[in-house]
Formats: sequence, C-alpha cells, structure tokens
Amino acid sequence: MRIPQVERSGDGAVVAGVCAGIARTLGVDPTFVRLVFALLAFASGAGIVAYVGAWALLPGPDDGEPARRRRRIIGTVLLVWSAILALSGLGLSNSIVWPLLIASAGAVLLRRESRAAGIALVVIGIVLFVSHNSAGSATTLLAPGAVGVALAVIVGPWAWREARDRARAEERADLAARVHDSVLQTLTLIQKDPANARRLARRQERELRAWLYPTTASGTLADAVDAAAAEIEELHGVRVDVVHTGDAALDERTEALALAAREAMANAARHAGVEEVSVYVEPTAVYVRDRGRGFDPAAVAADRRGLAESIRGRMERVAGTAHISSVAGEGTEVELQL
Amino acid sequence: MTRVVLVDDHDLFRAGVRAQLEEGIEIVGEASSVADAVQLIKQVDPDVVLLDVHLGDGSGDAVIVQVAPERPGVKFLALSVSDAPEDVIAVIRAGARGYVTKAISGAELSDAVRRVAGGDAVFSPRLAGFVLDAFRSGEATAVDAELDALTAREREVLQLIARGYRYKEIASRLHLSPRTVESHVSAVLRKLQLSSRHELTRWAAERRLI
Repeated sequence: MRIPQVERSGDGAVVAGVCAGIARTLGVDPTFVRLVFALLAFASGAGIVAYVGAWALLPGPDDGEPARRRRRIIGTVLLVWSAILALSGLGLSNSIVWPLLIASAGAVLLRRESRAAGIALVVIGIVLFVSHNSAGSATTLLAPGAVGVALAVIVGPWAWREARDRARAEERADLAARVHDSVLQTLTLIQKDPANARRLARRQERELRAWLYPTTASGTLADAVDAAAAEIEELHGVRVDVVHTGDAALDERTEALALAAREAMANAARHAGVEEVSVYVEPTAVYVRDRGRGFDPAAVAADRRGLAESIRGRMERVAGTAHISSVAGEGTEVELQL
Repeated sequence: MTRVVLVDDHDLFRAGVRAQLEEGIEIVGEASSVADAVQLIKQVDPDVVLLDVHLGDGSGDAVIVQVAPERPGVKFLALSVSDAPEDVIAVIRAGARGYVTKAISGAELSDAVRRVAGGDAVFSPRLAGFVLDAFRSGEATAVDAELDALTAREREVLQLIARGYRYKEIASRLHLSPRTVESHVSAVLRKLQLSSRHELTRWAAERRLI
C-alpha cells in the first residue's frame, strides 16, 4: 500500500492551504477537515500546533526538493508535539503519553538503520512507563510482562536475523575451509604428480562423498566394509565400488565377514589385473566381484594363506560360508555368507 | 544412428561425454538448464536424453515432467555423481528408463544409451541397491499388493545386478533368456514408477535427514 502524497493546495486556501490540500487528497469537503483542526485546537491547542507542523511538513505546489527537506524536521517535531497535546487533552496522563511517544520513536528508529539509538529509546520509554505507573497494584503486576512482550516483539526478529546471518556466514567459511584443505590441495598435487592422478582423485572423491552424504552409521557392517574398500583403493590404486542394502551392527560374526571381504578385495586388486572391483553388502552377506583374469581355485598352492585362512577359515569359524567361483578370462566372485 | 541430447550444467563433463560416446551415437544438442533442455528436447525430438540429476535451475525430474506429455517417444537416462538415493529415485519415478553413475566408462555408457533407445531399462549396481532398499520394508501395509512388492524372481535379478552381474550373466546363472531378465527389470522399473507405496517417498525423505 502506498501512502498518498499530500500537497498544500493553492486554490481554495484560507490560511496556507493545508486543510484544502488534505481534503483534496482524502476526497472530502475542506470544511470537514477544518472542523477537525478546530476541535483539536480545544485540546490544549493541539490543532493549532498540528496546523503549523503540517504547513511546514507538506510541500507547497511550487517548492523545490531542498526546501522540502529542510522543513521536514520542523514539521515532524511540531506534529509530535501536537500529538502529545492531543493525547493529554483526551485525559491520558503524562505518565502514559511520554513513555509511549519515546518508545514509538525508538521503534521507528529500529526499522531504520540506527539500531542502538532505537533500542535505547524503547528501553527508556519502557522504564519511564514502569517507574511512573508502579503505584497501582494492577500495573505492578502487568508492567513486567508488558515490558517483556514489548522487548521480545522489537528485539526478537532482529536477534533472530542476526543469529541466522551468523550461522550462514560460519557455514560458508566452513565450506570454504573444507574445499581449500581438501579439493584445492588435491588438484595442486595432481598437477605436480599426474602419474598418481587417479589415486588422488579417487581418495578426494571418497572424502568428499563421506562429508556430503554421510549415509552409513559408524560401527556397522556397511561402515566396516566401506573403510576396508577405502584402504584397498589406497593401497592398490584400484576403484572399489561398494553398494549396500540394509545394514547390521558389528559383532564377532559381522566383523569376521568384513575382514574376509577385505581380504577378497585385496586379492582382486592384487591378482585380477582390473581397475575396478564391485562389492555388494547385505546384512548377512558380502559379494566381491571382479572382471579380471580369473583363476582355478583348486590349483592355488596350499601355502597361500590368503584364500584358505583369511577368507574360508575366518568364515567357517563364525559358522559362515565362503564360495569362490572363478572362470579364467572372465573374472572372479567371492560370496561370503553368515 | 541413435540421436542423443545431453543435459548437464558442467561444460567439462559434457565435453568428456562427447569425447567418449562411440560410433553410431550422435549428440544432436546440449543444454545446461531445465528451461533450455525442455525447449531443446521438444525442438529436436531425440531418441535418448542423457540427463543430469542436478541442474543449475532445478532437478532432472522437472525436465522429464515437462517434456514427457508432449514427447512420449523420448527416453531418459539419468546420469549423476550423486549418491543420494532420494535424488535418483525421484528421476526414476518421474519416468527415466535408468540411472548410471558418471564414473561409468565410455563403452558402458554407449551400451546403456543403445539399450535405453531400444526400449530396455538400465539398472546400475547402485540403482539396484537403492531399489532393493526402497522395496525392503512394509509389504504388509501395501495398498496395491501387485505393484507394491517385488516378486522373488525380481528380487533375485536385482540382487545380481547389485552384485555387478550383466544381463547375459544373470540369464545364464538363473537359466533364463536375456529377454526374460530384461522383462523382469522393466517390471521393477514400472513398479517403482507406479507404486502407490508412500514408503518410497518417506524412505527417501528419511535418508535426507540422516
């Protein structure tokens, strides 16, 4: 909603054209406006002061911008004075009128830029109100509540906005720090050492994902398999893609499952000659698959501990099974089940 | 010749895809925002749209929703680095015929484009994992039992996809024809898109909170 622009009127002016101007803007008879001013004049002369104030405040038809600005302050002061006179004349005691005015002025300043002055005025208004009205028992009970509500209404939104802005700024700073420490450093490393680009990029990707999508809780089977996959990637420079559905708490059995899976991933990374290993985790099973060169499980030398001890033995000790299927040239899958 | 529109808000990524797609696949247009993509797709009417899940001015499912009613023949393949299941499920439910991660090799991506163009559904291991998760719980509260649960066979097929098997390998392992495997996968996709189970959306919403 726009407040209509009031101008003093040249035509039909009796004194300075204030009443005529207001009447034209409101679309009423000028006599009505003059009557209101005249009535207000009986309230300790408020009408007269208001008329002079409006004269100063309202621009004439041919005033320039600088003239308007100079008169604005005088006009406002006079109008406020007339409001005080009018309120006193209506029978409200000074102890209510003054605190109210000071608090209102404070509230207006709060909406503008001078917050400190605004808050000070509001507080002064409230204090004046409380100190002048502490005699009656009803006001004694009401005043503290009124003060609290007034403060909450005026300061609350501002404090909330401040807190939100600060939280946002901190979040942005945190993000910038994280990107600098991790992503930018890694990009610099890659430029210096292109041979290791794949491994560096993969490690960075994993870190960033763990931060952006923290999906698995720590201390679970999925978490343990993820950690093992990260280690294998780091050690052997292959990509280990882990997919999980559901999850299970880590206990003796699921821990054995995770360790056996780690060994299977290590085998695939070492022997299959591939760049990627797929791992699928369910609450009671892990599948490790590669599309590498494959081997004949029966032909593995008995002294190779990896397969026999770290995978089969480990699973059998917790009453689980390990099934290894491999076809030369097509890859290997290790199925671990509890 | 398969005509493809590429929608992604990263120039570098688009350049990478352009360089990797094989012979027989032609990129007939590129867009980097939802608004541009909608206009371009309606204009050039491609066979397949490679669609990023996240775009600067919205998400990939917004493109599908705006294009699909007017161009029912256009097929969408979602392509993303995102691992957030709710994003992926959202594009699939909007009507995408599959989802692959951006780490996919050029040859596999080309194969996925050809399969989607031929009417097949494309499930990457990760998508299979998401779908198994989404359909995991709440069979008892289902409104439409037919649509709201997976059959044992469908579950088996999805599990093998999640384990990294290809359709042909699944077929030989389950003693089925590759065509039958494909029809199971298409059935799962249809259920995902039509299922009335509110668990699907609630499941996605919960994931965001963790």
